[in-house]
Amino acid sequence: MILPKLEYKKAGNIAEAIAFYGSYNGQALYLAGGTDLIPLVKLRLSTPKALIDLKGIEELKAVSRQSGWLGIGANVTLFELKNNNTVREYFPALSKSLDATSCETLQMRGTIGGNVLQDTRCLLYNKSPEWRTARGFCYKMGGEACNAVPNAKACFSNYCSDNALSLIALSASVKLAGPQGERKMKLEKIFSGDGRKPFTLMPGEILKEILIPMKRSKGAYEKLRVRDSIDYPLLGVAVSVKGGTGRVCVGGIGAMPLAYTLKKIDNSTFKDITEKVYSNARPVSNATLPPDYRKKMVGVLVQRAIKKVLKEGK
Amino acid sequence: MKTMKVTFRVNDEKVILKVRPCETLLETLRERLDLTGVKEACGMGACGACTVVVNGVPLRSCLVLTPEVDGASITTVEGLRKDGKLHPLQEAFMEKGAVQCGFCTSGMIMTAKALLDRDKRPTKKRIIKTLSSNICRCTGYKKIVEAVEEAGKKRV
Repeated sequence: MILPKLEYKKAGNIAEAIAFYGSYNGQALYLAGGTDLIPLVKLRLSTPKALIDLKGIEELKAVSRQSGWLGIGANVTLFELKNNNTVREYFPALSKSLDATSCETLQMRGTIGGNVLQDTRCLLYNKSPEWRTARGFCYKMGGEACNAVPNAKACFSNYCSDNALSLIALSASVKLAGPQGERKMKLEKIFSGDGRKPFTLMPGEILKEILIPMKRSKGAYEKLRVRDSIDYPLLGVAVSVKGGTGRVCVGGIGAMPLAYTLKKIDNSTFKDITEKVYSNARPVSNATLPPDYRKKMVGVLVQRAIKKVLKEGK
Repeated sequence: MKTMKVTFRVNDEKVILKVRPCETLLETLRERLDLTGVKEACGMGACGACTVVVNGVPLRSCLVLTPEVDGASITTVEGLRKDGKLHPLQEAFMEKGAVQCGFCTSGMIMTAKALLDRDKRPTKKRIIKTLSSNICRCTGYKKIVEAVEEAGKKRV
């Protein structure tokens, strides 16, 4: 499929990238690996005037141990991160979600920043322009209806990053840089909950770094998909436990991942959390598996992930 | 739309081109350089038929803008033959009958080549995991995996 006309700029540092963004009056997009972005542009779901390549920015490529944190540059590829010894040793939930992301070739190109900031998906949205025109535009395309749920007042597109779930379970934070300066926030705070515009990032902001508290943890990631080799998650569950507490994060259903805290590590807490996660999950008919099956699998995957975490190290 | 000057190496030959910024590497390789061993199937990065090796890393050329590979070194399936002799992978694919319709073959070979370059003797499990990046709709994966195993043995 042919790309629309656009310009290409390669930024050498963050300030230059932000300046490029300004020179296009905000009608540009940042490009990292492009594995999510280029298909969106090809399908005309995104229509930037220019792509600003961030791959030349050295400071976004490093994984560094800082006091109390592991700092992961946004442009570190998924494959590189998966093979990082610190990640393997300290953050098994992340290591497993990285391994479950797409396939190896795409892991070598795709970046952790791009994976976290990928757009939400819907079976009735990620389609050709002809298909969408024939069907009628939905909320996410700028229309006035949802094509998946009749009479719905909101967009139900699904957020499909595997690694954001494990990062949230690991209590990660993010550093952002934009025209208004830098800021740091908890990863779960970057989600708006609105499928039409899933992130709270300001125009022109760049995800610089992801910070994970440097504490050894036990963890698991469970993913529901049709083809084991490549698919986006139809449901993802990350569990991470350190000390006597833990976190569970569920995604792939709805526009933002939902996080839960495990205050204790015992069977009654697990039972409560499983019930809570199950009742909060509201899948609709916009993925390749039916919603009632996905809902049932929420409970199954949470249980499975917790069992794996408890078995670890025994 | 302004064109951009791009310089890179393809199969050990230097190439200098003026390209439109929206041109994908797949289009450049097939349409300007006649390297039609690179195949377009899905065009969305899902199938792996357009895989080429860029600086030692297998890449889906349909997802890469040509200006992104400025300065890079690219190998396509046409560049595997050296001094009239086929690459062990190509030999093994023929020997084992790992080709059915052949459309996925060049992508499979390039993904396997990048694997063998970084892991000389990969296990069967490793091969299956890596080749799951590529889709064969004739579903003849068994022979393909055998061929890569065979090529790994030959190179040791």
